[in-house]
Formats: sequence, structure tokens, C-alpha cells
Amino acid sequence: MNIKEYISSGVVESYVLGLLTAQERFEFEQYCEAYPELKAARNAFELVIEKQAMENAVPPPSYVKEKILAAIQQKAAPNPSKLIKMEPATTRRSPGFGWLAAASVLLFLVTGYFAYTFYNQNKELKSSNNELEAKISRTDSIMNKMLEDQRAINDPNVMVVNMVGTQKASPGSASIYWDSTSTNVYLVVKNMPKLATDKQYQLWAMIDGKPVDLGLFDQPQPNVILKMKNTQKADAFAITIESRGNTGGPNLEQLQSMGKAKL
Amino acid sequence: MEPKTKYIEHELVVLLKEQSNDAFNYLYDHYSGALFTIINQIVPDKDTSGDVLQEVFVNIWKKINTYDSAKGRLFTWMLNIARNAAIDKIRSKGYRDNQRNQPIIGSESVGMEMSSNPVVNDVGLKKVLTTLNEEYRRLIDLSYFQGFTHEEIAKMLGIPLGTVKTRIRTAISQLRTMIR
Repeated sequence: MNIKEYISSGVVESYVLGLLTAQERFEFEQYCEAYPELKAARNAFELVIEKQAMENAVPPPSYVKEKILAAIQQKAAPNPSKLIKMEPATTRRSPGFGWLAAASVLLFLVTGYFAYTFYNQNKELKSSNNELEAKISRTDSIMNKMLEDQRAINDPNVMVVNMVGTQKASPGSASIYWDSTSTNVYLVVKNMPKLATDKQYQLWAMIDGKPVDLGLFDQPQPNVILKMKNTQKADAFAITIESRGNTGGPNLEQLQSMGKAKL
Repeated sequence: MEPKTKYIEHELVVLLKEQSNDAFNYLYDHYSGALFTIINQIVPDKDTSGDVLQEVFVNIWKKINTYDSAKGRLFTWMLNIARNAAIDKIRSKGYRDNQRNQPIIGSESVGMEMSSNPVVNDVGLKKVLTTLNEEYRRLIDLSYFQGFTHEEIAKMLGIPLGTVKTRIRTAISQLRTMIR
């Protein structure tokens, strides 16, 4: 084929301007590979067209660029077609939706406020409830003790032993309440002198002439019932003054008071 | 903000294929005016041609990987995207419905328009067109600016297909010498 004729036939210009059919275009591209002069002619006309177009350029409205940049930002995302469709939905949101969003935020805040208030109220109620419970349990234990005391004193099986003060402790007097069935021993002090801090009173049970320890106690408040150690047998009771925490036998020289058990 | 004011075309293409925003910005700033002129020559309404330009640049961004420099220059590739998009637009039903008073298709109206009402933007290729004789001018307008195939033009003008082909080639060759 005559390449010069081909070049001057207008095929080059038609190719560049996009006026060839697909078949003609394919042929032209094949020839371009084979004939460098054809490619050169194509390139020359392309430059002419480009120069012509650039010289006649009219700047487009500026909003076009913004729209393009916005569009390609979305294109860069993994699912472009979907994102483009989503965009109007977010910008043209119906007023109802905005109201709903505001209402849900408000609801959240109000709920939060109430939750906080109720939490604090609950905390206060809990602590005052605890205080009340503690008070009641203290009262209960006091009442139980009183009831027990009362029972001990009024029980027909309980023997009352009135202790009589010895000469050394003139006004000293106390009563022993001894329950022969439960073997509980209670002591009610009526009037006994105050001791030095290193001394304590000690109650003894005299069994077959031998003293058995029933417990040490400090100078008690008058009319308070002290529960002492239990004993099954007792001929008599005695109170001595001993060193604090005495573990030995009684110091009978310090005998304060004594009473005989009458069985 | 433009980090680079001048790119060698090959370099620009490589960057565009890497989806460089800077390169795309440069591409738009450098070529949008020229492409807008071409689009305007086919779609005279400015708002519509702005929409087409937007579509064209989004397509350039999306399709840059299909550009093959062995088949022509980057501008030629973009020019043909712009021309095809503009022709698609004027042929779309929505555009035609809006332009009822300015019929585009039909041999009579085309001929009338060309002779009595000189084209909207007399710049670039279209300016050169006015120097062609009327028959060549009409052929170039129908094929290049309105995108009709040679077969469609042959039917429209009642001329044999072979004649349409040779006349368009001749007209284009004349265009070339005039542009130079």
C-alpha cells in the first residue's frame, strides 16, 4: 500500500477527531506500528488540534471543579456507586429526621439525669437503712439480754444467794443468781468499792471446801447483771480482791463477801 | 495551591494512573478550558455544558488506566471523551425535551441552521469550519459536532455512503491545511 496516499487521504485527521469506524480505527493503529511516518503525521495533527484548542480555551465556571473534586473523593472510596447514591440522602435529610435525632438525644440526656438521681437516692436510702438495721440489732441484743436477765431472776429453779460483806469491805454487797438446771451463774453487784487499776474482783464457788474460779470482774456498775462461769455444784460463793488477771488460788485475806448456797 | 506548574505529558500520565490528586488538579487547571470550549460547541447551554465537563473529568479520573499513549496524545484521548459525552448529552431525551425550539436532528433543520444561523461559539475548529464551503461545513458539523455516523449522514442527506466518506475526508484534509 502507498503510505503517502494513505496519509493524505484524511484518515489521520479523521482518526484524531474520532471520526473513523471501529474497523478503520483498528487498521490505522496497525499501520501506525508499521509506518513511523504515519505515526509522525498523526502526532503532528494532534499537536495542531491541541494548540488550536488551548488557544481557544474558555474557563469553565469555578463551581465545576469543586463538584468534580467532591465526586472523585467519593470515587476513591471502595464502593463508589453506592457512595454517590448515599450523598443526597444525607444532605437532603428530611426535617422530620432532624427532629427525631434531637428528640433521641434529649431523651438520652433526661434518662441519664434520672438514672443519676435515682442512683444517688438509692445510695442514701441504703446507708440510712443500714444505720437503722444496726440500731435495731443493738436494741435487740440489749432487749434479749434484759429478757434473759429477767428470766434468770424470775425462774423458780434459780437460787438467789445474797452475799454479805465482810468487815474489810463494809458496804460491799452482791447477789448471785444460780440456775441449778442450766448451771448458769449471774452476779448482780449492789455496792462494791472501786479498785486500783491493777486489781480485780474474783468470784469463787466453794465446792467441798475448795475454791473454784467463776471469773474475774472489774468494779461493776450497780444493778448490772454479770454472767459468770457456770458451776454444777456450790456450797457457797465468795468474792476476793486479786491481782488483775489472777490465775492462782484465792487470796482469802482479801475476802470481800460471802454467801452460803442453800440447797 | 499547585506544587508543580509544568508536567511532561508522560510524567503526568504516570501520576494520574497512580491517582495523584496534585496531578489531577494540574490536569483540570491546564485542560478544562480547552475541553469546555469543545463541549460548548456541541452543547451551547452553559449550565448543561458545565455538567458535561464535570462528567468528563470524573470519567478521565476513572478511566485513566485505559489510556494508551501508543494510540495518541493524552489531550486527543480527553478531547474524544469530551466530544462523545457532549454528543451523548444532546442526544439524550431530557436534553432534547428542553431544546424543543432548537431542533438538532433532521436534515432540513441542520441545513438551515448551518446556512442561516452561524454556530454559537465561533472559535477553534468551528471558526475554521466557516471557511469551508457549505457542503463540507455541513458534513463536518454533522459528523464531528453532532456525532452522526457516515451511514446516518448518507441517509439524512440522500448521498451514497462512499461519497459521504470521501467528502468528509476531503473536508477534513482542507481543515488541516487551514489550521496550519
